[in-house]
Amino acid sequence: MAILEEPIKEVEKLKNYINGEWVESKSGEILDIVNPATQKVISKVPMSTPDEVNAAIKAAKEAFPEWRETTPLARVRCLFRLKELLEENFEQLSRVQTQEHGKTIDESRGETRRGIEMVEVGTGIPSLMMGYNLEDIATGIDEYVIYQPLGVFGHIAPFNFPFMVPLWYSPFALATGNTFVVKPSPRDPISQVKLAELLDEAGIPPGVYNVVHGGAEAASILTEHKDIKGITFVGSTKVGKDIYKKCGEVGKRVSAQTSAKNFMVVMPDADIAGTIPALMTSFFGNAGQRCLSGANLVIVGKDDAFYNKVLDAFVDTASKIRVGYGLDESIQMGPMQSIDGKERVLGYIEKGMAEGAKLLLDGRKADIIGDYPETCFVGPTVFADVTPEMTIAKEEIFGPVASVMRVKDLDEAIEMANRSNFGNANAIFTSSGKAAREFQYRIETGNVGINIGIVAPMAFFPFSGMKDSFFGVLHGQGRDAIRFFTESKVVIQRWL
Amino acid sequence: MKLNTASEVISFTKKLEGDSAKFYKDLSRRYAKDEGIFLSFVKENEKNIVQVERAYYGVITDALEGCFAFNIDPAEYSFKAELAEKVSYSETLDNAIEIEEKIIKFYSDAAEQSKSLMADVPRAFKMVAKKRGNRQSTLKSLLGKED
Repeated sequence: MAILEEPIKEVEKLKNYINGEWVESKSGEILDIVNPATQKVISKVPMSTPDEVNAAIKAAKEAFPEWRETTPLARVRCLFRLKELLEENFEQLSRVQTQEHGKTIDESRGETRRGIEMVEVGTGIPSLMMGYNLEDIATGIDEYVIYQPLGVFGHIAPFNFPFMVPLWYSPFALATGNTFVVKPSPRDPISQVKLAELLDEAGIPPGVYNVVHGGAEAASILTEHKDIKGITFVGSTKVGKDIYKKCGEVGKRVSAQTSAKNFMVVMPDADIAGTIPALMTSFFGNAGQRCLSGANLVIVGKDDAFYNKVLDAFVDTASKIRVGYGLDESIQMGPMQSIDGKERVLGYIEKGMAEGAKLLLDGRKADIIGDYPETCFVGPTVFADVTPEMTIAKEEIFGPVASVMRVKDLDEAIEMANRSNFGNANAIFTSSGKAAREFQYRIETGNVGINIGIVAPMAFFPFSGMKDSFFGVLHGQGRDAIRFFTESKVVIQRWL
Repeated sequence: MKLNTASEVISFTKKLEGDSAKFYKDLSRRYAKDEGIFLSFVKENEKNIVQVERAYYGVITDALEGCFAFNIDPAEYSFKAELAEKVSYSETLDNAIEIEEKIIKFYSDAAEQSKSLMADVPRAFKMVAKKRGNRQSTLKSLLGKED
């Protein structure tokens, strides 16, 4: 199979998008954006100065009154135009994601589609933002609630879904009448630049949507700025907790999706043939770099034959995964997005071995398809005989490492999963409705999969999460997002 | 090498439809009396690509097993798009019917393999397989009328 054409051909220094203009940063700190598969520098990103971040917030603040007064219908027409532009540029946007992140082209297209779906749901705001009312709460007195936008929201984006994750929030924020400042991940910010270009083309008014590049300093400014009404964040628990604390002190809204350690529970009555591909996507899709990834594979039952059958099929299929550059259509798993990410995974592999887990498939020895440097590549890795106390069973690895555990029954599986600090996305594979219902009822996790490996809620449902996997009250996407970006105002009226 | 990813299979679908379109275009030039039928096949090939691509791009998400949905050996379904020289019309039609058999098998196999993984994509494959079945019937009806 041929390698698909790379969309980014020339190295350019990215600009900030502030008040409807593309502005060159004055910062002297410029980072390379490296294609993790080829190790070629594909772009450069500035670590914007505090003044530049403040300028983006100021522009958003000044744009708010007029945008708020723009009718919901007019606001969503802008999103309709964006939707059309996203469809027209679908393939290019997807390839950019592969080039800057490393994921496979199927995964990138999937990410693009998910992002577009958020925009589609956002276009429903004229209906979705409606309040409610009741006549005659007392004789001749009516009461109603209206939802109003709050002002400027900031978004601090992760590296693992450079296109989609900011779209969990921005269409909802914009459609409800707020203005927005995005700080993309400095590792792969090009997708957000492309998105802003399309928003500009769609006619978003100056200042309503802004992109400012940077790292931790820019994120801190966004978090602490008095004119920012709320922060949406996706990233680690450590940072998410810190943002939640800082924002809580000053009464800002926060929706922070954070780390995960997800349990995939395979019951003795599971359909093995149908389960294995779902598990492959769950554990090794996006090279394991997502908060919905399977991390602990829990095989249920005392039957050795069943345990061995599942384990053998899992290891055998994982060992055949084609690892390489995601723009090669035959590739099933790309590299880690960064050297740091790979180093972290290698550290956990060492730790798993040191703590006594049995390494059945060693991703450090994976064959890389094509002539690419091994710098960021690590293949599917499977540990068996993992116990809940081991580090690899407890901590988020954020890479293609599966820890296989064995329990006697469903009770033990649920109890084990519920002991985890995290509560993002656990799944059960079974043909028993009773077992599925029991799992759904008792499992302490925001997203529950029943015969689904990647429990990714659609745009019209909230992207849930609990325990150390989420900080805040309202989640991204769906009705939660609409409530997050609006304040309810209650009116009680009597006409004399 | 086998095709495993959805992207590969979509690209292979385009290749099959493209090769098939070339075959029928050449056929329409050589056998002018049935030109209309063969050119309608060419047009249908273009629609098939749109139908399958639309299904794929419409449903592919990061949650679907797009990278693990298939196990297709392209060698099983490949065919020569060039018309053979010095063969009769009926032999050419026989060849076309055989080609259609391979393409129907491809779409049926692809639909079967991805039925629990790729949402609407298998349905699109099935629909094209059905259209190909109708085409095969049309080709069979031409046999015996070749003079």
